Amino acid sequence: GVFAHLEMLEMRAHKAAVKREEMERQEEKLARLKARVEELRLQRDELRAKVDLQEKGQLGKEGVVSDPAQPSAQAVLEWKIKSLKAMLQIFYLTGISSKLTKRGVCFSISTAYEGTYLDSYHLDLLTQPEVRILRHSVPIFIPLEQIAKKYLQTDIRRFMSVLSDHLNAYVGRRYQADQLQEHFSAQIEGALQRNSLCNLLVFNYNVSSQSKTFLFNARLLYGDPCSILPTEVVISCTPDAPAALAETAGVHSDLFRRVALHKAFRSVCSAEESVA
Amino acid sequence: MDNSILHVYEDEIQSLEEEIELLAEKYEESQQESTFFSDEEILMSIKSFQREFQGESKGREPLSDLKVQLESLQTDLSFLMKFTGIQFTSHSKKTVEKNRNRTVQMHRLSGNCHSLSFQLEFQLLEMQNKENVTAVITDLSIIMESGEDSDVSKFVSSTEAHGNLSTFFRSLSCYAEWCEHRRCTFLHFK
Repeated sequence: GVFAHLEMLEMRAHKAAVKREEMERQEEKLARLKARVEELRLQRDELRAKVDLQEKGQLGKEGVVSDPAQPSAQAVLEWKIKSLKAMLQIFYLTGISSKLTKRGVCFSISTAYEGTYLDSYHLDLLTQPEVRILRHSVPIFIPLEQIAKKYLQTDIRRFMSVLSDHLNAYVGRRYQADQLQEHFSAQIEGALQRNSLCNLLVFNYNVSSQSKTFLFNARLLYGDPCSILPTEVVISCTPDAPAALAETAGVHSDLFRRVALHKAFRSVCSAEESVA
Repeated sequence: MDNSILHVYEDEIQSLEEEIELLAEKYEESQQESTFFSDEEILMSIKSFQREFQGESKGREPLSDLKVQLESLQTDLSFLMKFTGIQFTSHSKKTVEKNRNRTVQMHRLSGNCHSLSFQLEFQLLEMQNKENVTAVITDLSIIMESGEDSDVSKFVSSTEAHGNLSTFFRSLSCYAEWCEHRRCTFLHFK
């Protein structure tokens, strides 16, 4: 009837209106983005010009130059603050950083494996009436209490140094295991088993000999908590493996004891490739 | 409506914002590096601050804040250098790359550890991932005063090869302390 027809016309008009609004909104958005791009381009070009001018100005000038115009006391202090902040900021590269607090000092131990800096651990120390640890982020499997008992009161530098050795070694072992899992997952059979302290690693890996693959089992024990190399390595092969492989197992065992795990594994794999 | 145009604009906006951040950083750094004020000039500035704003209490907060901030930073740095035995005498950095999760800077750092002085140059890459920041050192170059000592130069080359800056500092402290002990021991027997 008429009503049905009217309803249909209304709906059609409504839909058209909604569509129009949607289009207008899109156009507005586009226009806004376009304007923003123009604005940013301008800003970028200005900055580029400024930086270019700086670089040209410094060509041929030896040594440092003070601002010829008399700088305000504020500018001088701000310069010094910036300089000190930058120096404090990179201090963590030395392995230790600190901030004095109202009741003592907060130390940050940064760990690294070769050139890669990894986790940082914090210790909030009270210094009065005696040195005490208020708070820390050292993992529970690091013998912090033992180390503190031995050195904290008598030689705080030694305390920090020993703790740092433990933490760096832990992080170094963990890094090696992570690298092994990440880069050699194809050769590793099943999961790499490790404990929290990463001083016990057990894994199975494939070794090929005369176009057959055999499974080797490796068990690495890191007896020295401050070392990133294992003290004990046991490599065993399956009973059906040929006698020659026993020699290979011995070679691997020796390698894993002397060289970082992921690097040792890399030579194991490339040795395989050259044989095959 | 063409969504792809939207994306093109949004991508360009992000890339421009990153470029602006990098350029602003470069400009700031360059300004900072090309300026130098001696300790006397710093002291004079602090004094002139206090003179100028002696009587005023309102609206001068930011300036006394600067003095407090400066002193706090100086005490922190002084404590840290005394504790570690590592003194930095000069530092300069140059940002080479900077975007949302990556910053690459070239650093030049000189200093000494007790009586051993060093000059370092390295590239520092800092990456922001989900939980933390990783930093990687590359192109490490170490110059040490006692470089003629064969043990020292072997240590230095191995450290440079692996970018082992952290080990360098930790070993330096030990070595420097040992040198001190040896020197004191010899003096004792003189």
